[in-house]
Amino acid sequence: MLSTLSEILRDNWEWRHQIGRLSIFELVKKSRGAVLGWGWFFIKPAMYDFCFWFALDMGLRQGAASGSGAPYILWLCAGIIPWFFMQDMINTGTDVLHRYPYLVNKIKFPISSISTIYTCATLIVQLMLMVVLFAIYFLCGQPLDVYLLQVPVLLVLMFVFWDMVSIAFSELSAVSKDVANLIQALSTPVFWLSGVIFNVFGIGIPWIQAILNFNPVTFFVTSFRSAFYDKVWIWEHPGLCIGFAVVFVVTFLFMVFVYKRLNKEVPDVL
Amino acid sequence: MSSNDVEMKEAGTVPVEASAGAGGAAAESAAVAGSAAATSAASVDAGKPVAVPAEAAPAPAEPQKPEPEDHRKTGVSDEVVVEFDHVTKTYHLYKNDKGRLLGVFGVRKPGWFLGDVNANNNLTFKIRKGEAVAFLGRNGAGKSTALKMITGVVYPTEGEVKVNGRVSALLELTAGFDMKLTGRENIALRGQIMGLSNEEIARLEPKVIEFADLGLYIDQPMRTYSSGMKARLGFGFAVGTDPEILVVDEALSVGDKAFKEKCVKRIREIMMDENVTVLFVSHSSSTVREFCSRGIVLDHGTEVFDGPIEEAVAYYETNY
Repeated sequence: MLSTLSEILRDNWEWRHQIGRLSIFELVKKSRGAVLGWGWFFIKPAMYDFCFWFALDMGLRQGAASGSGAPYILWLCAGIIPWFFMQDMINTGTDVLHRYPYLVNKIKFPISSISTIYTCATLIVQLMLMVVLFAIYFLCGQPLDVYLLQVPVLLVLMFVFWDMVSIAFSELSAVSKDVANLIQALSTPVFWLSGVIFNVFGIGIPWIQAILNFNPVTFFVTSFRSAFYDKVWIWEHPGLCIGFAVVFVVTFLFMVFVYKRLNKEVPDVL
Repeated sequence: MSSNDVEMKEAGTVPVEASAGAGGAAAESAAVAGSAAATSAASVDAGKPVAVPAEAAPAPAEPQKPEPEDHRKTGVSDEVVVEFDHVTKTYHLYKNDKGRLLGVFGVRKPGWFLGDVNANNNLTFKIRKGEAVAFLGRNGAGKSTALKMITGVVYPTEGEVKVNGRVSALLELTAGFDMKLTGRENIALRGQIMGLSNEEIARLEPKVIEFADLGLYIDQPMRTYSSGMKARLGFGFAVGTDPEILVVDEALSVGDKAFKEKCVKRIREIMMDENVTVLFVSHSSSTVREFCSRGIVLDHGTEVFDGPIEEAVAYYETNY
């Protein structure tokens, strides 16, 4: 198992230059042919954000001011912006080998690194959105404080976790279309059964909350909100941390298992 | 065409060297074929008559043809660039994706798992720097699988493939490009994947563009290219990167006559370089004879002959 892990790490390290450049190409490809080009990376999330804000704050009157007096829009953005990253990773990241078939069986390229390319490209977009989030944060008159130190840590954690998910599931998706469809079908429940648009701590029913703790999206969204809005540390939500730790370890083992089984077979079948 | 070929097989298995000592071409190849047959003992299709050495290797018609075939490579160094060490490639065949998915988790449901096919079976050979080797065999003999393993996109199931040097493959010329990117971007992309620096790519680009001769289309997305244009770009890229090992798989059958001639000319130029090793797959005996000095004949994944090209071609033509 350690040898498989070191193989994945070694591949990704040795090919890091190529991974970096290919992720830029991925973004170039995405923005290709559009007049607004890179602007679309912002327009879509902005629309999404606006709709949720309108529906929840204006329509359902769900918005509540926090202790720090920050507006609801900041609460919403702090959760939805990380969700954009995870949404991309769930929808495309889990079937990324079909996106790059030529890297799998035409050109010598480590398969796990293909997931890393996509994760990097998505992370670049995420970092741009984070800049916007910080702008909103300061516009709302919030202070620069130590809780924000959690943000870079969470971004790294998010990168590692979703890269692992992508490696495991894209290899399975390459073998079986069912897996790709299953994961994409799960995208909607994962969104609604997470804390993206409601506060999980407001549910009040312990066992439902315990289950939601195992949703990694809940963990990331709540943690980003802890940093930007609630001003608490991640470990002040122990249940959430334990839930995520379990999911992280299981995902890791699953990835190693799938990689070991499939890595050499995928080029034969894709 | 020296004792090289015999030495090479020694690494394989049974040293049948006694008969090769005589130095005659026929005796030499007999030894080669003999040990090749020995190597293939564990073949899938053991029932098939495998190379009877003595009659399998007819003496070449013209052992020393003088001038016109100068394209063949002669300068062969001792450095081994490609080594197959008891390589077996097995494809697991399932009835459908469901079966394959279960197979990942170790479940092989009868009816869903159809069986294993050895595309390459216990191949052992060494190719030295500067050699030009032809792979001969019928469709499905495992030639392309062997070449794919050399290019590194497919992994052996058992055994080890060692490759030293930059491989450039003319496997499927139109493959390996991103259709959404332009020709020029694709050159940069492929160059970067190969790990070239920006300066190297800047130097490579005009060479490829000149060879591919795409005109204004070089800055158009590749999905708008015709198949001939894709092939030209593919070939241009493969030969433009100064390969150390060039793998050619039926690639010369694309394009019009003028382009074909251009390709052949370029391959010849590359082969003039003593440091370049060329691996060739073709069904055309004349092309193979023109380019190669050594032939390896495969049958159902098993190596049945390894020796000088004339003998290999003769062996192939008599037996298949």
